[in-house]
Amino acid sequence: MTLTWVGVSDSERRDARSIREGRSSSKDARSPEKAGVGGAVPFKITWAIWFLLTIHVAIVLAGFIAPYNYETQEREHAYAPPTKIHFIDCAGKFHLRAFVYVTKPAENDLNQYQQDCSQPAPIEFFARGDEYSILGFFHSTRHFFGVQSPASLFMIGTDGFGRDLFSRLLYGGQVSLFAGFVAAAFSVVTGLLLGGIAGMYGGRVDDVAMRVAEVFITVPWFYLLIAVRAFLPLQISPVTAFLLVVSVIGLVGWGRPARLVRGVILSARERNFVLAARGFGASNAYLLRRHLMPLTFRVLLTQMAVLIPQFILAEVILSFLGLGIGEPFPSWGNMLANAQQYHVLVSYWWMLLPGLAPVPVFLAYHSLAETLQERTKSNF
Amino acid sequence: MTSGNLGLLKLDPLLRVSGFSVEYDAASGAVVRALHNVDLEIGEGESVGVLGESGSGKSSLALALLRLLPGNARVASGTVEYRGRSLADVSPAQLREIRGAEVALISQEPALALNPVLPLRRQLADVLVAHRDLNREAVASRCDEMLRQVGFSDPERIMRAYPHELSGGQRQRVAIAQALICQPKLLIADEPLSALDVATQADILELLARLKRDLGLAMIFITHNSGVLASLTENILIMREGEVYARGDLAKLQNSSDEYVQSILFPEKSLFASSPQSSTNDNPVLVVHGLGKKFIQQRMLSRRKFVVQSLEGVDLELNAGSTVAVIGRSGSGKSTLARCIAGFETPDSGEILLHGQAQTEKLRPSKNGDLRHPVQMIFQDAATSLNPSFTARQIVAEPLEIAHWKSEAERTERALELMEEVGLDPGWASRLAGEFSGGQRQRLALARALAAEPKLLIMDEALSGLDMPLQAQMVRLLIDLQARHGLAYLYISHDLNFVSLFAQEVLVMDAGRIVERTIPTKLGQSAHPATRALLDASERLHAPGVEAAV
Amino acid sequence: MIRYLARRARHGLLLLFGVSILLFLLFQAAPGDFLSEMRLNPQISPETVTQLRAQYGLDQPLPVRYWRWIKSSAKGDFGYSFAYDTPAATLLWPRARNTLLLSVPALIISWLIAVPLGVLVAGRKGSWGDRLFSGGTSTLLALPDVLIALLALLIALKTGMFPVGGMTSVGVQDQSMWAWLRDLGWHMLLPVAALVIGSLAIILRHVRASIGEVLESSYMRAAEGHGLPRLKLLFSYALPAAANPLISLFGLSVAVLLSVSLLIEVVMGWPGMGPLLLEAILARDLFVVIGAVMLSTVFLIAGNLLGDILLYAFDPRIRRQA
Repeated sequence: MTLTWVGVSDSERRDARSIREGRSSSKDARSPEKAGVGGAVPFKITWAIWFLLTIHVAIVLAGFIAPYNYETQEREHAYAPPTKIHFIDCAGKFHLRAFVYVTKPAENDLNQYQQDCSQPAPIEFFARGDEYSILGFFHSTRHFFGVQSPASLFMIGTDGFGRDLFSRLLYGGQVSLFAGFVAAAFSVVTGLLLGGIAGMYGGRVDDVAMRVAEVFITVPWFYLLIAVRAFLPLQISPVTAFLLVVSVIGLVGWGRPARLVRGVILSARERNFVLAARGFGASNAYLLRRHLMPLTFRVLLTQMAVLIPQFILAEVILSFLGLGIGEPFPSWGNMLANAQQYHVLVSYWWMLLPGLAPVPVFLAYHSLAETLQERTKSNF
Repeated sequence: MTSGNLGLLKLDPLLRVSGFSVEYDAASGAVVRALHNVDLEIGEGESVGVLGESGSGKSSLALALLRLLPGNARVASGTVEYRGRSLADVSPAQLREIRGAEVALISQEPALALNPVLPLRRQLADVLVAHRDLNREAVASRCDEMLRQVGFSDPERIMRAYPHELSGGQRQRVAIAQALICQPKLLIADEPLSALDVATQADILELLARLKRDLGLAMIFITHNSGVLASLTENILIMREGEVYARGDLAKLQNSSDEYVQSILFPEKSLFASSPQSSTNDNPVLVVHGLGKKFIQQRMLSRRKFVVQSLEGVDLELNAGSTVAVIGRSGSGKSTLARCIAGFETPDSGEILLHGQAQTEKLRPSKNGDLRHPVQMIFQDAATSLNPSFTARQIVAEPLEIAHWKSEAERTERALELMEEVGLDPGWASRLAGEFSGGQRQRLALARALAAEPKLLIMDEALSGLDMPLQAQMVRLLIDLQARHGLAYLYISHDLNFVSLFAQEVLVMDAGRIVERTIPTKLGQSAHPATRALLDASERLHAPGVEAAV
Repeated sequence: MIRYLARRARHGLLLLFGVSILLFLLFQAAPGDFLSEMRLNPQISPETVTQLRAQYGLDQPLPVRYWRWIKSSAKGDFGYSFAYDTPAATLLWPRARNTLLLSVPALIISWLIAVPLGVLVAGRKGSWGDRLFSGGTSTLLALPDVLIALLALLIALKTGMFPVGGMTSVGVQDQSMWAWLRDLGWHMLLPVAALVIGSLAIILRHVRASIGEVLESSYMRAAEGHGLPRLKLLFSYALPAAANPLISLFGLSVAVLLSVSLLIEVVMGWPGMGPLLLEAILARDLFVVIGAVMLSTVFLIAGNLLGDILLYAFDPRIRRQA
């Protein structure tokens, strides 16, 4: 091998410069065989992904995990505070199994609830309760946990109709989280189509598409969101409302992904590796499949992580303002709307919890978006 | 033999570096050694030249001396003492007093060394004000004096200007003025010439030599180009992989038999082991006849169109196993020529024949198993010519995959073979493109081109992104491959380096036409103004090295 | 300078034009309007509705209606409010003024906090202060604006120290100018604070990122190598160099503020454009909706224009191009 000296002297070099510039260069400079096995940097499954997976599963299984149905009303328990869970009974005796006492409104003040020490009810797992269905085909009456009537278990209290807030929060997550997800998918697909067309065809088409996108990006987006909603019917069924809200959010948000996709395609078309592949006789289909699509896909994945929390918030706000999903079906937005009444806000702090529910979800999505952004950046 | 000869007579040398090691934490978590056990001593008024290829740690040395290393780097061992005081132990405030006032730095890339949004008056005066307690008039007159000293005849205009209003050479002069305005004892110049054009390089070099003499500066001059050192210092330190590989005076090192030392001092010389063979093949691979190409430009919101004549009546013939170099300024049409021959652009007139067949057939999607694509192109910027999400194996096997050549396993095997052929360890096949260094990426691009079994390789400034020693290695590899596969090369460059060493014919382009055809050895006698301009640019810089080699 | 600004202003006008066309297209697609709601009312005869329709020009095709609206906007009316039976502008102007009364102070305060804080934190990358900071901004960023508004309202209600709802107390108009101003300031305090909290995180993050990027540039390293003092490096060298990204952010921050302001106005009962927009939607008073959205866009474009002027002042490279 006459050529080895060239290879060795070059390859054994530890390129400190490229490291200073933040590019990962010779990762295992001293053990090439290890690098040969490991290869591509594996995607780190962060806490954010675990958390999001868990919360989405929990929300799909809302019927099972929630002790009550979202519509179940216990009128005598309006605005009940979170139920106290006991291990030690009124007589001071310790029980291994957690239990609650039956509560009743105090006779002189309907806002005060009194525990009835004579009626303990143990917290049961796989307890019988309201009938529910998961994804429409699995029906059951067994809940993950619950207590038997007349006792009741309100983890984070009830609303004005005596509906269990915890259960409604889980069901409401179905609306809010999935509205965000579907709307983001909707606008990303729209963005992919329009941005892709603009990037591929260029010229007039590109001009028009990007001008329109700019209009959608420029207008302060709550205003645009509400305005677009304004031109659509107000009194509608929950299912229509869900679809409507999703399409409104998606329609308002397509501008940014479209711009991104166009940018990626324009820059990729000029990349030398695309030229080189054409030099090997690659067809357009091949270029799209092997080079352009994976590039766009990665950008769009990042964009999804950015858009989903934004769109969850959009749903929350529309429903909060009474322009989204309406009663009796819960969403985090319309649940929070009750807290706008001054007496509710002042007296029943748990009514603010629906506003806190998106916070961990947003944190997780933001962290995920950041990870993905770093990754995309380091790849260019 | 070390630079400390004179320093031994004094108690403390100006700067003493002993057993100095620096490590980086790479993004992947690995620890990378940038400097290892470096010793260096400089007395007042002495100079040392630090030579080495990129990645040899010479720039890390410059930064580490002033504690300017980025956050992910740390000093692993050793000390840097300035006048007997360890720089690692001084407080940030004391360090600030040393920086700029005692030890000054001229960084790489003058274009980027000045703040783009501040007027130069402020950038110059601030350095002075930070270290000297002077009133306004004194500051102004010192700035004026300093700017005159670095060769400006109209300091007032310069002080009012912003960096973007100056040329690269002027900016580097201002950066030098900034460094010297507090009359430091030691100047660290980190590749101060690398981003300048050739004529300016010579000017700046003269200036530095004069200032050193006049001000009695001690200087550490870091470069990869040994040619520039002759006028500054005889005292040389050669670095390799973060270690001091050799030291001594220039003349002695030039006579050293060590291969690495030779390749650093005379990058061109190492090529002569395999000299180009002249080919007497009468069956031309490529015939270009009367090629013409126009571009029509239209400004935004304007109906006026501009026609740019990019190529006009270009004729060219290239035989198997031979090399033709096309040189010219940027914008002379040479890249358009390359892209037309490669089939990325369609010429407006003229014909391109590959083995007597019209080239237009070439870019059709390939049929099963047939991977012959007779023309391949190697691009200047290896970073964008490889898809960053592909592994080395995928990159090299891509032409095979596109052509549906044999089975997956055979394709992989072939890819590994090719990697070895271009001098890359096949064990790295699963690494991503981004994990390779610039020179290695250019090798990957070469391996990929070879996979298509080309007859003609077009190299569009393919060596320009690399530093001299790496360029020399690439040229050697190319000559080797040419001999083995009978490849024809079309070498396109604005730079005359290496051209004389492996091309049989040189075509000079200017404004879309071929203005001169000659052979490399007669290039020097050319009278054509376009050729002369290119020659002048090359000679002023590489003079010592090239002369020694030729 | 003039030509540069004229170019930017022309671009803004084109954009406004685009927004108005978009809104009218949506208007066309809307299934009902104020008058069709009226038709449901048994006390109003269908003839009256048809007559009103003709009177307002709602029976005309879209281009005609659009042209009429343009003409009315040129007069300064911005169409007609059906619900209040008055030109839309008479409703919009006072509300727009109130929105600006919240947004402008909040904008100034946010930037006054964000710039020094962001610069200082960027200068201490990797320290515990930096980590605390990024944790804090992440949390703040994840808090829904609605919740911030509700919490501000809760504080007002619980402490009783702040007025709830409205801009001024009853009867304060009769008192002295000074008392009126103090009362107004008192009413503004919580909404502005909520607005600042709601928009601060995003500005802070951008400031830190922009400065951080500048700090890694070679001219900053060179300046450090010349021994310049630390604060001078950060504020006199890094900050002006980051002017370009920061000022582009200025336009964005106006958009963010206007959006957040809408919610805070609704929740805290501030008579700005937010509540007006909401009422107009529920009443199907579509010209008012269009007017409100157009005005918000005008504010945004004005913000961008202001940013362009700042950029012109700060960045010599822009001056040369212009």
